[in-house]
Amino acid sequence: MIGDCMENDVITKLNNLGKKMVEQIKMGESPHFTTILRSRGNTYYNEKEKVLELGDKTEKRTFANVAQARKFMQTLAIASKCKKFVRENLHTSIRGLYYQLKFSLGENLEENLFSEQSESNPLIEDLEVALNVKREDFNLNTDRKGFVAGRMIIEDSFGGEKTRIDCSKQGRSGWSIPSDVDNGMEILDLKADYVLVIEKDAMWQRLNEDKFWRKNNCIIITPKGQASRGTRRLLRKLADMGLPIYVFTDCDAWGWYIYWTIKTGSMNLAYLGKNIAVPEAKFVGVTMQDIKDFEFLSKLTIKTKDVDIKRAKEMLSYPWINQYKEWVNELKTVIRTKRKIEQDALQGQRLTFVGEYLSEKIKNKKFLP
Amino acid sequence: MTKTDQFNEFKEHSIAEFFKKNKQMLGFSGKVRSLTTIVHEYVTNSLDAAEEARILPDIQIELNEIDKQSGHYKVKAEDNGSGIPEKLIGKALGQMLAGTKFHRYVQQRGQQGIGAAGVTMYAQITTGKPTKVVSGYRGNIIEALVSIDFKTNKPKVDILSREKGDWHGLIIETEVKDVKYDKSSSGVYEYLKRTAIANPHAQITFIDPDGEVHIFPRSVEIIPPKPKPVKPHPLGLNTNDLLDFAHKDNNKTLNQFLSSTFSRVSANKVKELKELLPHINFKKPPRDLEWQEAEDIINAFKKIRWIAPSIEGIHPIGKEQIRTSMLNMLEPDFLAVVERKPKIYRGGVPFIIEVGLAYGGNSGRKTGGQVSSNIMRFGNRAPLLFDAGGGVIVESVKSIDWKRYDVRDFQNSPITILVNISSVHIPYTGAGKQAISSEPEIKEEIRNAIMEVARKLQIYINGVVKEKEKIHRKKAILRYVHQVASDLSYLSNIDAFEIENLLSKMIEEKYDTKKDEERLKNVISNRG
Repeated sequence: MIGDCMENDVITKLNNLGKKMVEQIKMGESPHFTTILRSRGNTYYNEKEKVLELGDKTEKRTFANVAQARKFMQTLAIASKCKKFVRENLHTSIRGLYYQLKFSLGENLEENLFSEQSESNPLIEDLEVALNVKREDFNLNTDRKGFVAGRMIIEDSFGGEKTRIDCSKQGRSGWSIPSDVDNGMEILDLKADYVLVIEKDAMWQRLNEDKFWRKNNCIIITPKGQASRGTRRLLRKLADMGLPIYVFTDCDAWGWYIYWTIKTGSMNLAYLGKNIAVPEAKFVGVTMQDIKDFEFLSKLTIKTKDVDIKRAKEMLSYPWINQYKEWVNELKTVIRTKRKIEQDALQGQRLTFVGEYLSEKIKNKKFLP
Repeated sequence: MTKTDQFNEFKEHSIAEFFKKNKQMLGFSGKVRSLTTIVHEYVTNSLDAAEEARILPDIQIELNEIDKQSGHYKVKAEDNGSGIPEKLIGKALGQMLAGTKFHRYVQQRGQQGIGAAGVTMYAQITTGKPTKVVSGYRGNIIEALVSIDFKTNKPKVDILSREKGDWHGLIIETEVKDVKYDKSSSGVYEYLKRTAIANPHAQITFIDPDGEVHIFPRSVEIIPPKPKPVKPHPLGLNTNDLLDFAHKDNNKTLNQFLSSTFSRVSANKVKELKELLPHINFKKPPRDLEWQEAEDIINAFKKIRWIAPSIEGIHPIGKEQIRTSMLNMLEPDFLAVVERKPKIYRGGVPFIIEVGLAYGGNSGRKTGGQVSSNIMRFGNRAPLLFDAGGGVIVESVKSIDWKRYDVRDFQNSPITILVNISSVHIPYTGAGKQAISSEPEIKEEIRNAIMEVARKLQIYINGVVKEKEKIHRKKAILRYVHQVASDLSYLSNIDAFEIENLLSKMIEEKYDTKKDEERLKNVISNRG
């Protein structure tokens, strides 16, 4: 499984990849490597770990096959470029990498090493899986997304400097979660009872204004929609440090998806498995039960869209979801009533109601699993 | 008009008169076809004469357009044969149906058409001009003008000069109207080209109306064996043939005529015939045979068990000759030729099928950048250019499931198929003798022959395609070797040059095409 990786580890792994291939060539073989097949058919739910993982179907990538030669060459170009990034301790995005590798193969060849970024993305994943390394370990950044507020102190080594960041002193904007929270980033101090993940940025700002994190001694994080790799990694780290993770989203297809991605990981990133999933996470709301419990909410529901119903039905078929009768009830209620509700609706009565609602539910442990 | 009427008319008028009225029956229909027929008559005469005289023929055909509007052309044919003696010039060029055809029954090219005299007549009808002849025969060179008296079918010969000289051969010059030269598949050019293919021992030069000289060079130095005359077999005859033979016969009785003219007709067989045809008087002179009687006899022939005819009279082109001339003419990438064993049709007429299949190079027909497959039909070595759709050859070729032989689109492939049917009696469909009727045995035999060469083509196509793909794949991979080596070098800290060399070697070995080349060479050297 892909874990934390020290810089030297990455370089050693890349060196070994190269040496092994040269050996293969010397033996008269085509240079090749093996990667795990990243397909829906090779993705399964690990019941013990409670995360989505890749199965054991592997694929051989080889050079001396005309169908694979170009991709093989491109993969090696990525590997060699990443070795350079790590050695020079410079970071770039996958788009930056793409531009680094977008050059002609030679004067006589009317062919570029890469001609579209969509070519390079899956090859990066190939390398990640083959070497058991995250792309962040290759010094490849993804777009930052997600903000944090709470009593957490971080030391960030970046650009040759070390910076102390106190997440309780970031004002209205909070600390922006970087794409890589593993390399050059250390949590020095953490004073919180739990982590609250809030789907929407606006809602997070509302709770930040109320100093919800201080009053309730927690860390509040918004992924701003679907959680980025960095946010998910941070949640995993915080969970590893013993904090419960509670997730607060809309009661609709998109909200559920955000929750389950945080909890079990996603199909797309199944190759990162438990390193990016937080199976301990619990769903705090909004739920269909809330509509019964808080009368004013019943007037603030919205009619479901087709996608919500379709998604709800899909979720009912997933073993990792339909094992929980609470979720089965929740989803069936949505399908039956064809109503959904946004987290913003909780401000319908009073702006500060959200905070009360959350602390109440968390105190009474009114969660969906 | 019934056939009997037709024949009665044939008797009443002179043959020349008949011809004048029915020229389309004899190949003089359509302007292009008429010109091809004229050239055909001269060329076949030259080829037959050279064969008989054991000379390697050199033939030259020259066309001059005198007036486009009226289709007025001068045709000049020259050969290096033995020439014609003075007393026979009139008969050879000025008397219809006076050829050797009715005296001897050998496999001859001249089975079609009406001979050189027919051309003399055609010239006379269309331009009113006699045909000029120069004949060099055994030291005497005669120059003469030949024409025909239409009423009597007698030749008129005006001797212009008599000289002594070593030159031997024949030069004929004639002017005709109502013809047209073009380079279409039924034109003179194509006719001569195909004649050259079927007669690789001949050198044919063609000077077209634009003055362009086309030479179809001799590719084989062997004169084909002299065909031995054989008497016609009863099963190879049709009513018309029988009447022709009968009316020119000098025997006293039909009885004698039958047993002396045809092979395998013994006294016993005549007796059988008489029993089958009690209404026919076998004692009457053969020249009194009537159409209906002839037809009855032909039908009765089919009911009698005959000893099969001799195959001695059949002379195919020969596998090697076809090979050489197709290679020469088409410069193909692949060629396969097959000569089948003699077979019989209609219960007793022997025939031999030869098929050549050329692929690539100049094979096929090119029209405006597009290539399409081409079928060259021959009957006893004579190209069959007309009535292309109707005959057994085209029918057989089209009945082949070409996809089975990895020819995905036969119609649009660079393929030339040569089919030659040799027989003392080829079952032509019409009087024009340009298509061969679909006898089941002949069709089956042509199909077998084609399938035999098609199987070889399939091996070739597979080899070539695979070969090309392999080279293509190798190139596609080799272009990446430099980049891969440089990245592997950075990853492994091993010298890039060394890696590149090793990697190139590995790819070259993996995509080694030499073995395939060997295999392919074998296929090609086995071709034919």
